[in-house]
Amino acid sequence: MRKLLDFLIRKRHWFLFILLELVSFALIYRNSAYQQNIMFSTANVVTANIVSVTGSVTSYLNLREKNKELLERNGRLELELLKLQDLVETMKADTASFRAFVIDTARQFPYSFTTAKVINNSVSYNSNYITLNKGRKDGVTPDMGVVSENGAIGVVSMASDYYSVVLPLLNTKFKLSCKVLRSSHIGSLSWNGREPQYANLDELPRHVEFQIGDTIVTSGFSAVFPEGILVGYVSSFERQRDDNFNSLKIKLATDFQRLSNVMVITNYRQSEQREIEEEAKSND
Amino acid sequence: MINIVKGSIYFVVLVLVQVLILNNIHFLRLATPFLYIYFILKLPIGFTSTRVTFFSFLIGLVIDIFSNTPGMHAATCTLVGFARMPILKIIIKDEMQESLSPSLHAFGFGGFLRYVLALVVLHHVTLFLLESLTLFDPLFLLIRIVASIVTTTLLVCIVEAFNIDAKRNAD
Repeated sequence: MRKLLDFLIRKRHWFLFILLELVSFALIYRNSAYQQNIMFSTANVVTANIVSVTGSVTSYLNLREKNKELLERNGRLELELLKLQDLVETMKADTASFRAFVIDTARQFPYSFTTAKVINNSVSYNSNYITLNKGRKDGVTPDMGVVSENGAIGVVSMASDYYSVVLPLLNTKFKLSCKVLRSSHIGSLSWNGREPQYANLDELPRHVEFQIGDTIVTSGFSAVFPEGILVGYVSSFERQRDDNFNSLKIKLATDFQRLSNVMVITNYRQSEQREIEEEAKSND
Repeated sequence: MINIVKGSIYFVVLVLVQVLILNNIHFLRLATPFLYIYFILKLPIGFTSTRVTFFSFLIGLVIDIFSNTPGMHAATCTLVGFARMPILKIIIKDEMQESLSPSLHAFGFGGFLRYVLALVVLHHVTLFLLESLTLFDPLFLLIRIVASIVTTTLLVCIVEAFNIDAKRNAD
């Protein structure tokens, strides 16, 4: 007995080592992409405040280019507005068709935006995350879509009271349903962990025709993003192993290394869509 | 007492430097230096294996919390802390004063470099393998590991060369 005790005490660093490794691996495996513990992440108030130091410094660095991008976007939107106004005018002139065009007042656009600031961001790991300075108190909850002025970014994976963590496209665990704008064929977008400018669009049927430079947008199936948000452009293609599907290399529209301001999308009908989909599945 | 204060300062400063600056560096899109391992390297020689393992786990966990990678750095650092004693035993043949920290001055350049390389290689290989468990891309992984090892080792040596505290201890 004494010898056994002696042995245990002498080898106690082994036990500590094994115990701590077990704790670490428990943490690794308990944290799947969508359910993370807020305490062990940058959504925690203390850590979020500390990492926001970098965010507040770097947000000043590329103001000039951000400004230019915003101006360009403003110009594009103004042009679009003019076009629509023109359309309305012509319809008004042609009263017959205008009368026939009944606006459904009961139908509301189910999306709205909340702007947020990126306070922490990484592109160097396989599992990258982005921390935002808005949380539950600002109406940000998990499963909301996040976009920048250039295109889709990711999905909110968890939210504390004042902060939230986003699972971006640049995370190997993340998949996004996308479509080729020209042909409306659906594929699944994922990242292979290599270059932060490129992602892959898989599961695209082989007969689909496309060209280099074609636009890829969100499909709107997941109820996270509205349909038609820009994701990127086709840059090259490679045939997949089973030969029935194509895999496209997509140049992402968003520069993930220089994110500073983003918009979180609220979909009022998301829970309704989820519920009815769940019901359909359970009825199966 | 002084040692505790000094240790805490090392801990806080290295964690802040790591999460605020170095985590945002991806040299040539490949290499990210993990300077916080300097804390594990500099724990006094007299520390028991148990203590070193525990403190290593602690700093790994804190880094994990800041970089949203629960458990990855903690698991890696626990291993590094545990392996420190055997590696130290191989590198220093003769008796050393126990309150001293491993340093460039105490080990000489060759000895210190070997010590740093041994721990850094162990750390980076474990970390990158853990990170890419689901991903099979061996060549790219190897390049990333080697690039990060080089930058981390370089940074550790630079910090050590300019570390006033280590110089004063040696005199």
